[in-house]
Amino acid sequence: MDTLGYLSQGFGVALSPYNLVTALCGTLIGTVVGLLPGLGPINGVALLIPIAFALGLPPESALILLAAVYLGCEYGGRISSILLNIPGEASTVMTTLDGYPMARQGLAGVALSLSAWSSFIGAFIATCGMVLFAPLLAKWAIAFGPAEYFVLMVFAIVCLGGMAGDKPLKTFIAALIGLFLSAVGIDANSGVYRFTGDSVHMADGIQFVVLVLGLFSISEILLLLEKTHHGHQAVKATGRMLFNFKEAASVFAVNIRCGLLGFIMGVLPGAGATLASAVAYMTEKKIAGTSGKFGEGDARGLAAPETAIGASCCGALVPMLTLGVPGSGTTAVMIGALTLYNITPGPMLFEQQPDIVWGLIASLFIANIMLVILNIPMIRIFTRILAVPNWALVPVIAIITAIGVYAVHATTFDLFLMIGIGIMGYILRKLDFPLSPILLGFILGGLMEQNLRRALSISNGELGILWSSSISMSVWGLTIFMLCLPLLRSWRRRSQQRRSIADA
Amino acid sequence: MILQRIFALILLAVCAVLAVMAWPYQAAFSYEPVGPRAFPLLMLGLMGLALLCLAIRPTPIVHKEDEPPLDRPTLIKIAICTGLLILFAATFESLGFIVSAVLIGVPMARLYGGRWLHSAMVVVAMSVLLYWLFDRVMDVPLPLGLLDVLEN
Repeated sequence: MDTLGYLSQGFGVALSPYNLVTALCGTLIGTVVGLLPGLGPINGVALLIPIAFALGLPPESALILLAAVYLGCEYGGRISSILLNIPGEASTVMTTLDGYPMARQGLAGVALSLSAWSSFIGAFIATCGMVLFAPLLAKWAIAFGPAEYFVLMVFAIVCLGGMAGDKPLKTFIAALIGLFLSAVGIDANSGVYRFTGDSVHMADGIQFVVLVLGLFSISEILLLLEKTHHGHQAVKATGRMLFNFKEAASVFAVNIRCGLLGFIMGVLPGAGATLASAVAYMTEKKIAGTSGKFGEGDARGLAAPETAIGASCCGALVPMLTLGVPGSGTTAVMIGALTLYNITPGPMLFEQQPDIVWGLIASLFIANIMLVILNIPMIRIFTRILAVPNWALVPVIAIITAIGVYAVHATTFDLFLMIGIGIMGYILRKLDFPLSPILLGFILGGLMEQNLRRALSISNGELGILWSSSISMSVWGLTIFMLCLPLLRSWRRRSQQRRSIADA
Repeated sequence: MILQRIFALILLAVCAVLAVMAWPYQAAFSYEPVGPRAFPLLMLGLMGLALLCLAIRPTPIVHKEDEPPLDRPTLIKIAICTGLLILFAATFESLGFIVSAVLIGVPMARLYGGRWLHSAMVVVAMSVLLYWLFDRVMDVPLPLGLLDVLEN
């Protein structure tokens, strides 16, 4: 029952007027950021890190702000996918399939509020799961030594590739680039300068915000150059804004199923919202069978991916908070923010700073409710934002990005570095490399190296310590399974092809 | 395909150069068995292996539907845009935030298809607004540069 006590304490933190206003601002900013092309949750959250720091927000408020922005961004992405049929990011692709047809049938308001509601239920289920399992996991994780941590991080990286599906090799390369980049700068253990090229500015390593904004904002700016369309005509959101009881009841079973599924997918590192929404949509389509009109504006087809996204976003916070191992790009950014405040997420966080953990969990609840409420009066304003043309938007994004980077260290070197990283990111994107593994690798790299060195110090250089305990052995087993997964998948695909050729 | 092979080979060469750079990294004296060069070398080695695989068997690039092919005008545009961004970074402190933002913002807006007058209006208004918002309201110090004389 400790947990419930902590949770109410968390609500106490989140419901203080200051934090409520923070959460409201966060959801508003997040929604606008998510709406605009070229800005997604990752750079939205990253842009706000230096600003939250400059504003002198206390850590729990800063984290609440970032979480609210994150949820707001997801919601904003939903608006553009339902009204424009343009998914803001990969995870909302499934939302367009039934959301846009619903909007075309004059149910735009209903679709939006229903999606917000579904996402709320998903987040609610995941938060309950988090309340139940996170303290257990944290208690268990205290038994982890450096060797176990190292193996766990290897597993997280391999999981990324194993779950990525169509391009495991490129995902690995991207993650390795991130892992390598984390080694740049002065080595904390020995004081050796690594890969700094004798530059003072590099001694500190590459700043996380610089890397994120370069990879995501600058490359997006360059990518937007290719697309020449000027603004979009959004479907007008008229008529009923709120779903009615019957509609909510008809998707309730879907919500529960997809919420559980999304939570599990969210907890697994590397799976994340994209996979969760796709699996949820496909499963529901199969369950509905011929009775469903999936793809033509079925409410269930809208609710399924949205619930899964909401649940997996919150589920992704479980490994981040309990183990300090992020599972997605956005949680990696949040860890970066926490490190700025000198807070190391991990099993001890639950004991040492319960205010932060439970305040964050409680504010996720509150931000979700805010989004459902905001939807009704604000939707017309939000749809007008969609009409902003690129020529007005892109220079402003470039300028704000530069401010965000400059705010970290106040040196122009970081600006040049950001542009360099941005060009690299653009090239990688054109060659179909995923970018968020670079972020994850960058965050995990430092931890991984420290734990590896600590483990080998304990054993005096004996490599055997890495597979001496039963925990690390089982994690190694899972790692090998994950490594084999892409091979297995390609083998099955090939045998299927062969069969289809034989049939023809 | 060929582009991917070239890219993989270039990155492989970069890895090799970095590995050579990393080789002499050694702590002057150390109490731990693993020095500062082990981890980067391990990562570079694994990356090299993966890149070799990619160079031998490139994975096909999936193009999205709304992605037009890269042609000469787009490449020129991208080069100009990159140039503008570098110019922005170079003049950020010397000219000051507002001046440099206007200087690169207007051509950039033109690049994305805005009209001269509209772009100038939006960019000037936004840079002054952002300066006020960040420097004055949110305590993120931004350089004034040339406009320093206007202050006080």
